[in-house]
Amino acid sequence: MSPASADLKHLYYQMLRIRRAEEAIARRYAEQQMRCPTHLCIGEEAIAVGVCAHLTVQDKVFSNHRGHGHYLAKGGDLPRLLAELYGFAEGCCGGRGGSMHLTDLDAGFVASTPIVGGTVPLAAGYAWAEQMKKSGAAQGCASVAGGRMPEATNVVVIFFGDGCFEEGVMHETLNFAVLKQLPLLFICENNQYSVMTPLAERQPKRDIYKIAAAHGLHAVSGDGNRVDEVYELAQAAVANARNGLGPQFLELHTHRWPEHCGPNEDDDLGYRNPGELAAWKLRCPLLQTRQTLLDAQLSDDAEIIQMETCLALEIEQAFAWALQGTRPKIDSMRQHLYA
Amino acid sequence: MRDVRLMSYGEAIREALDDALAQFPDMLLIGEGVPDPKTIFATTQGLREKHGADRVLDMPLAENGMTGICIGAALAGMRPVLVHQRIDFALLSVDQLVNNAAKWHYMFDGQQQVPLVIRVIIGRGWGQGPQHSQSLQAMFAQVPGLKVVMPTTAGDAYHFMLAAIADNNPVLFIEHRWLHHIIGEVDKQAPAAGLDGAAVMREGRDVTLAAFSHMSIEALKAATTLAEHGIDAEVLDMRCVSALDVESVAASLAKTGGKLLIADCAPEMASSGHQLLSKLVLAHGDSLKQAPRLIVYPNHPVPTSHYVANHYYPGAEQIASAVLEMLGRSELTASVIGALQSDLPKDQPDRSFVGPF
Ligand SMILES: Cc1ncc(C[n+]2csc(CCOP(=O)(O)OP(=O)(O)O)c2C)c(N)n1
Repeated sequence: MSPASADLKHLYYQMLRIRRAEEAIARRYAEQQMRCPTHLCIGEEAIAVGVCAHLTVQDKVFSNHRGHGHYLAKGGDLPRLLAELYGFAEGCCGGRGGSMHLTDLDAGFVASTPIVGGTVPLAAGYAWAEQMKKSGAAQGCASVAGGRMPEATNVVVIFFGDGCFEEGVMHETLNFAVLKQLPLLFICENNQYSVMTPLAERQPKRDIYKIAAAHGLHAVSGDGNRVDEVYELAQAAVANARNGLGPQFLELHTHRWPEHCGPNEDDDLGYRNPGELAAWKLRCPLLQTRQTLLDAQLSDDAEIIQMETCLALEIEQAFAWALQGTRPKIDSMRQHLYA
Repeated sequence: MRDVRLMSYGEAIREALDDALAQFPDMLLIGEGVPDPKTIFATTQGLREKHGADRVLDMPLAENGMTGICIGAALAGMRPVLVHQRIDFALLSVDQLVNNAAKWHYMFDGQQQVPLVIRVIIGRGWGQGPQHSQSLQAMFAQVPGLKVVMPTTAGDAYHFMLAAIADNNPVLFIEHRWLHHIIGEVDKQAPAAGLDGAAVMREGRDVTLAAFSHMSIEALKAATTLAEHGIDAEVLDMRCVSALDVESVAASLAKTGGKLLIADCAPEMASSGHQLLSKLVLAHGDSLKQAPRLIVYPNHPVPTSHYVANHYYPGAEQIASAVLEMLGRSELTASVIGALQSDLPKDQPDRSFVGPF
């Protein structure tokens, strides 16, 4: 089902929030106070937002090095994300992780980490445990008749890129996820590049989602820059996973605008085809959604300006709070080596 | 006329790869980002254009599989050089490296060989954090059948790279990213390097500083400042982690009165310093005349936040103050430390090096 008008406005707001937050991070990065590698998701906002729209706090998300959007879309705490970038004790990892390692358990955002593929099996393991708890298997009860879960269950989502799809652990996880019919969503953000290496240098010409489908799970592809399309595909996928129909796979086509890592654009380096970035910018997920909202008279300029004002204030306040953070104590470095 | 030139460590690696590609028609250079616009911190720049896209190539994000594929190609007579931009990514290759590459020659009674080089980069900087700045040299060096080298100077980088490529064994070639910028002399006509043996970086008679990789640079810095106070430290660059040269250390100790400090860029339990020390004690226990010192990282991961990470890494200051303690000259500590202190944050090797990488 396509998103209802109120939902579409909300989706737009969420995407705009990620975009403006990322832009603010990019602007301030030059001050050299956020001293960690930072991978922005500008241009790819529709996927995080369209998928997370269907998740509850009990549903869990795992992510990768490009995790800001996933974190925010899942309800992660913006001030604590920023404090983490600045390396302060108030950061969501106490300054231990920086941009590449985020967590917000209150929001059901379990973790993002930067070793490509590292979190993919973890998401499956989490989903497996959820499934076992649900069926009572973990408590040693007899398994539910037919092996089907009787009612809706929590789902787990793993976000990853087209590059990650090349890792062996991806395929090992797909196999197990299908074997156990886990309540797990694989969301492949296909932005065509792994750092600066185009897909054609890394994979033969075939569809990623079809490879996934060959593992025996429900897999489809779609336009990752249309939040309404992502929303619809994710709605069905989440419902399937919740209702015991096993893991689901979405390949969503999109494009990253800034450089792989860092605050700048790098189109001058020439690794993208001429005009490619410009063409994707015309397909900006925000522009497209705004046009839909305006065309259908679901919103107007005044309301959109109000959204911008509201977000500008929120982001300004979040930075102000983050910048007042405290330096982690040097001794704290030794803590938490063991639980 | 000898061709002795000044170049950075990074340029020396590029030049060695270039020369090796010309010298060994079977050599391949492969890795994530090898031909991309940033060319592995510029160490593979121009090589694809010169030697062809069949021999200088990118690869899928499949470290384990691609390591095995390179081992297979090596068995069939190629000389692959596989690059990982962080040693942390090489952990995905460990099964192939340890179970196959390191065992093959032995396991099949010497009938087959694996002339494979794995280039990995270690080191700190700009909030690389727990999963992007590990120092796992000692772990790899524990594997029999794997050669592990950590050249420190541009000259060694050049010759070790050529030697590693010519070697018929799997060689792990470890570069500390902060070395890439350091300029040194490269004498291309120098005799071919072996992948064993330490090098004397500075002669001295008061104390022996045996160091690894970037810590050798820190030891040199400490030695230079100590010299201004009349303390003459000998600095040995250990260079070869899987073939620790205890003989050179013992010979140095004979000159310096048995006073040894070892410095490694690795956390305590993963330090090659321990290995060096135990081998030295077993072979030349009487060469030590007083308790040796070990300067290494704390035994926990490094947090990302620069506020704390700045305190994680020991350097020239810690080396110098330990030396002063060993020599009973602690009254000099404050002025020596003062001279060695830098206002640069410790996630930046020099002012030209700014984030994100
Ligand atoms: C195992 C591993 N290999 C290599 C890297 C270096 N690296 C970081 S991000 C990245 C590209 C990942 O591409 P993709 O999965 O498509 O995600 P994208 O960055 O395009 O969002 C690479 C190669 C890494 N972090 N981990």
